Amino acid sequence: MTGRRKRQLANGVQVLLILIAIFVMLVPIIWIFMAAFKNHIDVFQLKLFFKPTLKNFPAVFESPYSLGHKLMNSTLVALVTVLLAIPIATMAAYSFSRFRLTGETTMLVTILATQFVPAVVIILPFFVMFRDLGLLDTRVGLILVNLSIVMPFAIWMIKGFIDGIPLDTEEAAMVDGSSRLQVIRNIVLPMAAPGLLTAGIFCFIIAWNEFLFALILTNKNAVTLPIGLALFKAEEGDLWNLLSAAGIIIMVPMFVLALIIRRYFVQGMTMGAVR
Amino acid sequence: MRDATLKYLLVLPAVLVVLATAIWPLIESLRLSFTVGRLNRPGSLDQYLGFENFAWAFLYEPAFWNSVTVTAIYTVLTVALTTILALGLALLLAPGGRFRSGVQALLILPFAMSPALIGVSFRFMFNPEFGLFDAFFGVMIPPLADVSWLADPVLAFAVCVMADVWGWIPFLTLVLIGGLASIPQDTIEAAQVDGASGWRVFRDVTLPQLAPVLGVVVILKSIFSLKTFDQIFMLTNGGPGTATQTLSHYIYFNGMKYGQIGYAASVAWLMVIPMIFLTYAYARFVFRRP
Repeated sequence: MTGRRKRQLANGVQVLLILIAIFVMLVPIIWIFMAAFKNHIDVFQLKLFFKPTLKNFPAVFESPYSLGHKLMNSTLVALVTVLLAIPIATMAAYSFSRFRLTGETTMLVTILATQFVPAVVIILPFFVMFRDLGLLDTRVGLILVNLSIVMPFAIWMIKGFIDGIPLDTEEAAMVDGSSRLQVIRNIVLPMAAPGLLTAGIFCFIIAWNEFLFALILTNKNAVTLPIGLALFKAEEGDLWNLLSAAGIIIMVPMFVLALIIRRYFVQGMTMGAVR
Repeated sequence: MRDATLKYLLVLPAVLVVLATAIWPLIESLRLSFTVGRLNRPGSLDQYLGFENFAWAFLYEPAFWNSVTVTAIYTVLTVALTTILALGLALLLAPGGRFRSGVQALLILPFAMSPALIGVSFRFMFNPEFGLFDAFFGVMIPPLADVSWLADPVLAFAVCVMADVWGWIPFLTLVLIGGLASIPQDTIEAAQVDGASGWRVFRDVTLPQLAPVLGVVVILKSIFSLKTFDQIFMLTNGGPGTATQTLSHYIYFNGMKYGQIGYAASVAWLMVIPMIFLTYAYARFVFRRP
């Protein structure tokens, strides 16, 4: 075999392997998409071709599932968590990026480390405290604990973005007599805006998908979408068609958001250990 | 305002939030771990009994040791499988081009999925009557044709591992593609010019230069494997019996279902200890670069 033929063959094998990997990766997702458009009876057969129906989607919004309420909770909790976290994280990130602080490394490592603390450890004291304060099953309580998982990512991610903004424009403005706060408002924030948006979307996805806190802290009023998945059980077993419709409502918005920020996803998750 | 004051004022809110939402619960959990700590008994949260909760876990609780074993095997298997498979996929996708870049974009999807939903979807895929994977394995491996995956201790564990690996490969692949891209191309070309085979180039040139990124991947994945809860909860809820009960699940059950929050906190703290080592190792990778 000539070298060229050999390379073509090798590339063909590679493409085949990639296609298999993609197939395995997408099949569970496609399967949920299909089930969401199936009638209850069709779910119980391994059918590729079926008469599609749209009635699962209105059904999940009706009683007893009332997914609309959970959709509202998830949106509000994730949104407010992000709106609180991003400004606070931005201030800290700017300071960490531009100044030398006493104990800076200790602070940064501690912030990084809190991300690795198991969620069950965090939630036990919060459960006791929220029970005493009457914050169980409230969105406010959920937002507070969600800050614990979102803040470290936000600080590290935004610090990365601010590190990438060149210092000279800032210095020039300072020489021209701008104060530090003016520089932050007029120069840094506009330049960092795309980064802040990226970090916001990243944190929104994390808060949206959060499960353990919501499982423990909520039972009726503040239940979020992932917890809502457990509702679709009936005496005859899981209602897969409805479960899948709910699954689509949970994952499709996150797919869209994740695709928007996909270039920064790795950086965000690894907190700058991989660039 | 002077920068010397301003710089501390800017970090103050963030430090307070982290202290309140992460450090305080960590310390309060440690305190609870030394108490009787029954949710239904007022006052028991301040009733101290020394190291008794820890002793109880070590000496009298086979279920604790079971969850330690389950978590250990789970972690080793998921870390090894995801890392190896992700490395393979990263090598396949690294060359770029339109097809491979398109595939890279798709890789983000499973990672944007709620782990709870991944658990649900795998329960669906392995349903004995109409699960697609169940049917697939039934055809490929005939002895598995009639098994009920989630009712068998070993197979249910295998399904949990598969769900985890499925959910994590895409993300780790993206990390490794980034790592491969940062390896200077001329070192690889030089080896190829010298006539080294593809395998030799990979083993002697690519792999050593990829080692730091592989280190990050292994540590990060270990941490997330040790913490696993969401998927297991939705997929098997620890069952059948306690065959897939990870430590997080065991803590959740003792603390929330049985109301033994003091005992749960002590086991939770035992779990924090390996995390400290892993975090230390991870921080070294983060601060290694300027």
